[in-house]
Amino acid sequence: MNTPTLRRRSLGLLLVTGLGLTVAACGESTDDGAGEGGKVAITVNGQPPKTQPFERKIFDEDVAEFERTHKNIDIQPREGFMDPKTFSTKLAGGQLEDVYYVFLTDPANLISRKQAADVTDYVKDVPHYDEIQPTLKEIFTRDGKVYGLPTANYSMGLLYNRKLFTEAGLDPDSPPSTWEEVREAAKKITALGNNKIGFAEYSKNNQGGWHYTSWLYSVGGNVAKQDGDKWVADFNNDKGKQVAQYLHDMRWADNTMGSKQLLVIEDVQRMMGAGQLGMYLAAPDNVPALVNQFKGDYANYGLAPMPGGNGTLIGGEGYMLNPKATPEKIKAGLQWISWKYLNPDRMESDLKRYADQKQPIGLPASPPAGASDIWTGPLREQQATLKTKYATVPVENYQPFVDGLADLDKKIEPPNAQQVYAALDNVMQGVLTNKDANIDDLLAAAETKVNAALAQVK
Amino acid sequence: MSTTTALAPDADQRPARAPERHFTKLRRKVTDNLTAYGFLCAALVVFALFSWYPIVRGVLLSFQQVNFVSAAEWVGWDNFETLFADPLFGIAWRNTLLFTGLALVVGFVIPFAVALVLNELRHMKGYFRVVVYLPVMLPPVVVAILWKWFYDPGPGLFNSILRTVGLPPLSWLNSADTSMLSLVLVATWASMGSATLIYLAALQTIPGDLYEAAELDGANLWQRLRHVTIPQTRFVLLIMMLMQIVATMQVFTEPYVMTGGGPEDSTVTVLLLLYRYAFTYNDFGTASAMSLLLFLALGAFSALYLRLTRTKG
Amino acid sequence: MAKSRVDRPVRTLLSPWTLEHRRGKVGYWLVFTLVISLFTLAFVVPLIWMLLGAMKTAPELAANPPTLLPDSFNVSAYTEAWSFMELAKYFGNTVLIATGAWLIQLAVDVPAAYALSKLRPVLGKWILGGMLATLMLPASALLVPTYLAITDVPIFGVNLVNSPAAIWLPAAANAFNIYLLKRFFDQIPTELLDAARIDGAGSVTTMVRIVLPLSRPILAVVSIFAIVAAWKDFIWPLLVLQDPGVQTLSVALQRFEPDTPINLMLAGLVLASIPMVVAFLIFQRQILAGLTAGSLKG
Repeated sequence: MNTPTLRRRSLGLLLVTGLGLTVAACGESTDDGAGEGGKVAITVNGQPPKTQPFERKIFDEDVAEFERTHKNIDIQPREGFMDPKTFSTKLAGGQLEDVYYVFLTDPANLISRKQAADVTDYVKDVPHYDEIQPTLKEIFTRDGKVYGLPTANYSMGLLYNRKLFTEAGLDPDSPPSTWEEVREAAKKITALGNNKIGFAEYSKNNQGGWHYTSWLYSVGGNVAKQDGDKWVADFNNDKGKQVAQYLHDMRWADNTMGSKQLLVIEDVQRMMGAGQLGMYLAAPDNVPALVNQFKGDYANYGLAPMPGGNGTLIGGEGYMLNPKATPEKIKAGLQWISWKYLNPDRMESDLKRYADQKQPIGLPASPPAGASDIWTGPLREQQATLKTKYATVPVENYQPFVDGLADLDKKIEPPNAQQVYAALDNVMQGVLTNKDANIDDLLAAAETKVNAALAQVK
Repeated sequence: MSTTTALAPDADQRPARAPERHFTKLRRKVTDNLTAYGFLCAALVVFALFSWYPIVRGVLLSFQQVNFVSAAEWVGWDNFETLFADPLFGIAWRNTLLFTGLALVVGFVIPFAVALVLNELRHMKGYFRVVVYLPVMLPPVVVAILWKWFYDPGPGLFNSILRTVGLPPLSWLNSADTSMLSLVLVATWASMGSATLIYLAALQTIPGDLYEAAELDGANLWQRLRHVTIPQTRFVLLIMMLMQIVATMQVFTEPYVMTGGGPEDSTVTVLLLLYRYAFTYNDFGTASAMSLLLFLALGAFSALYLRLTRTKG
Repeated sequence: MAKSRVDRPVRTLLSPWTLEHRRGKVGYWLVFTLVISLFTLAFVVPLIWMLLGAMKTAPELAANPPTLLPDSFNVSAYTEAWSFMELAKYFGNTVLIATGAWLIQLAVDVPAAYALSKLRPVLGKWILGGMLATLMLPASALLVPTYLAITDVPIFGVNLVNSPAAIWLPAAANAFNIYLLKRFFDQIPTELLDAARIDGAGSVTTMVRIVLPLSRPILAVVSIFAIVAAWKDFIWPLLVLQDPGVQTLSVALQRFEPDTPINLMLAGLVLASIPMVVAFLIFQRQILAGLTAGSLKG
């Protein structure tokens, strides 16, 4: 009968499945990094994508150079920076790089969640560690323990279109330094007509909240303050109202901000690149983006310090280490970070190779790593001299920014920044899209949400 | 098995041959079962790994905090407390209920009305069926991006049309008052095709004699509608309503692509908040707590829907 | 179904009598014209506008009053969108994922439904119950734990993120397919199978040579649903396909949206929609039949 066949077939099916399962189970990926002959292999991210060919080439050259001078370390680069969407997956799946990029808003949460390695014992071997700006180092420290290194820093300022300024009868070398002057300039530029807008602001994807914070700092206000060991919201007051009212007036009374709102970075950059926008708040790293991605021209852009003269928001980036990394990997990782991003000895060669390729040097920002504003003291001066020496962009366009920076109070982002910004987004959206917005209500509602977000800060 | 009785008509002979036949029967049963499980094993593995395991894990995670470095930590009701303390939690539920309610009014009544009208028409039915269903076939992202452009308060198509006919432009997605309604319009446009056609099919099963009888009794159009059409389609209407409630409570693509939750959190839905907790704040425990609450809210509707379809189907 | 007269359509809300009156006729044609115009306006015009919009330049698109026809019918936006957004790659990814999802769902769900329907193993009722119970759960409530199951598959310990399997495998755990297939198989008379068994056919042969050919309608419905669902899906591929190189069209288009000029975007949208529209026009009957399969009796 067919019983033997039946049995054979079904057993066969089960056997194959069983085999398949076993084979798959053996295909587990483990990464213990013990390469051949005592070499330490570490994965690092921060590699620029192929759509940025120059940056990519520089990065790959650096990897090769580092491996040549550190024969016991093997660097395996990975593209990408920090994406909260993928961070957890990578960690869960054991694929998080040994050395991973962070924005300066990230360390606080990562440290609380124990998702970064404690490198206190190894940091003393990092050369020039003491000469890094203390505010930046603070961000990576908790209870005396260090969890990573800062590598770049930017401050917010006022980015303006020199050409439009000239056309509107304003002096491009004398940019607005108070908010009143910004308002006047915006009016004159909008008056040029032809769809030109004087001033633009973001109000979506947490970017509105981020800029609201910058404004607050510029008038000497704060988003949050510490009350004992808890954080509480600190913007539902005159200063917060002043900023909201000001924006509301520019939008509705002056009509200098355009009718399309709910903008994000790319929208505003596109307008600026197309010569349709007079001013917006930005960090210097926006300028290369305007030129490269949105077809702007270096000669047209100028940078002024944050109007108001009180303070500005700083942000930046750094690197932290995988909490599961072995001590050898941690040591190797710190060596890489220090050699590539925090290396005064390579400063000159770094700037030079950018200058040789006519890449922007002279902007008060990185890249290249050599131009990062993270040093204090003599190293900082050394950096300034070299930048002037190799400048490839009209440095004088940015002089006001650099000059003004020294006088501004540099404040870092509030804790749980992303959630706080999300709440503040609503204030921006309210004043920019609703002519009858009740600013007191908006601020009160945002305060509740911000307090809820701050309550989660451990 | 009928074969055994056929082969053993004589009672005296049965005991001598019974053990042998028993054994064959047992062997066949075992092989039959093995075969069946052979057919089932792939599905069992897939369900176990990607359906049943996630269900259990999801419930457990609601009471844990994970960081993927060390073992998961039990935190009791903490995640739920975080949720209830978050003002956005209440806002998300309110917005979602608003969306579902609006969607029921717009997206439930309109397809039924359209189906009624279509059922009466005698010509070009094929054209109508194709045309109303076409948007359903488009990827939701395509619809969302297209309508986002339509809604653009500056150069967008809708405001251009309004301005041309002399009407004032609307803010559509840019104002907290009109944003949710704008999303409902998009969602309805994209999905009403299937509802309309299902109603149409249901309407066509109504026996014509019922209408004739009603007419003979002197019923006018409205009365025929109320006393014949609606009762006859009550079942379909009910299950479609349940299905719609369950589906619209899970709305994600439109708010995510078109507004990101704004303006002023007016389009933050339950699923958008869940996504934020999991993939922006990387707080999987709280996100799971949110999922559990969503399940509890919808479970009742889904269970009712299933019971109704299975008893009738 | 008894018809009162030989060539009369089924009687509906309106009496056929009404339509024979002049006033009835006029009313009918008025409504008819109104419906046709509204339908075309609501459902066809946006799509045509999308098609033609891609042929316009940005200023044309922003013009007041809005134009329907472009100044020139140039398709350069389409070719530019194709290369700018690397649509070839994303089309390829989407086709791969949709095809794989289709085949794997059939390979997993058809034998399972057959076993539950015809082979009836012990515990079969429990297994079926366990599968159907999952229909009660809103899919989105399981996003987080299923995502974690993908990043670290239990027992096997592999990470499926960025692999098509991350989409295929959860898609195969589709209780609705099982329900539809089993219901269909239940209606196949057991005599057919018994006859096959007597003829010496094994279970696999019976399924492949006898049951499947009879099941073409339901297989068509399941297949079309599987492919269309995979093509249109957004939130799940958004989560598990994080490497831009392997993403599907929906995820990629959404990612490009902020940076892309509107006319290129429209071109991209049109190109992404064409396969689904074509599939619909070809498989209309099966799609519409499948619509009612799940919600009405029979």
